[in-house]
Amino acid sequence: MPVFRWGQHWNPLRDLEREVDRLLQGMNLALQVRSPRRFPLINLLDDGERYVLTAEVPGVELADLEVTAADGVLTLKGLRKAPPEARDDSFRRQERFQGAWQRKLQLPDRIDEDAMKAEYALGILKVTLPKIAGSAARSIPVMEGPS
Amino acid sequence: MNDNTHITRTQSPARPAANDGNDGEQDAADAPRILLNPSIDIYETAEGLVLYADLPGVNSEGLDLQVQDNRLALFGRVENTMEPMEAVEAVHQEYQIGDYLRSFILSDEVDHEQISARLNNGVLRIELPRTARTEPRRIEISTD
Repeated sequence: MPVFRWGQHWNPLRDLEREVDRLLQGMNLALQVRSPRRFPLINLLDDGERYVLTAEVPGVELADLEVTAADGVLTLKGLRKAPPEARDDSFRRQERFQGAWQRKLQLPDRIDEDAMKAEYALGILKVTLPKIAGSAARSIPVMEGPS
Repeated sequence: MNDNTHITRTQSPARPAANDGNDGEQDAADAPRILLNPSIDIYETAEGLVLYADLPGVNSEGLDLQVQDNRLALFGRVENTMEPMEAVEAVHQEYQIGDYLRSFILSDEVDHEQISARLNNGVLRIELPRTARTEPRRIEISTD
């Protein structure tokens, strides 16, 4: 959750912003002001032919991951278990999300749902979503109707 | 992927190996890598403390853990697993891709020799056992 932002985005300041964000998070100011964090965080890339979605779900086991697509909505579901042998009163610091989570994403284009692919490695879920090749624009002749 | 990670103890001032490694030959041309603060949990157990850190995208080769004096430094280098894509456009971006850096001050209770770590599904678990309490020892006093 960004803590510090200039109004305008331009590159020379971005590194500084990030560094300041990181410092502020390190100082734990972020914890006091932050809203409930979304989990997992998602990036979506488009290379023209397909979308590639990546979600950061570290600590989720493969068996606890579920990816479904229906009617242009992609659903990611899963469970992140609490650390073993930890009781609520034994935490000195707790920043990591735990429990069941779900995120839905409206896909912007038609997707070839049969050709979707999902991989999981190093705590990152990656879903490849090939677009359905658009047919060439068809020109529809306009007739003169009865007047 | 259950890897026992390697903990190094350094004599030299701790420089979490951000840019001093030998593996940076192809980085020079790349954009500067950003550093992120990983989310962590710390909790107490009967044996000591356990620390969890979220390091998505880091494998055991990219992880560097150092204990020096009473400071534990973790640095996780993110592998780019995406195959190069042409004409890529970010439609939606919630997280940034960068390396992870965070350090902790260990209390005197922690037995530095017994620290162990494990990386699994992008989560690092570090066990920080307490030093065993030494039994009081009676010192015999002899007289001349």
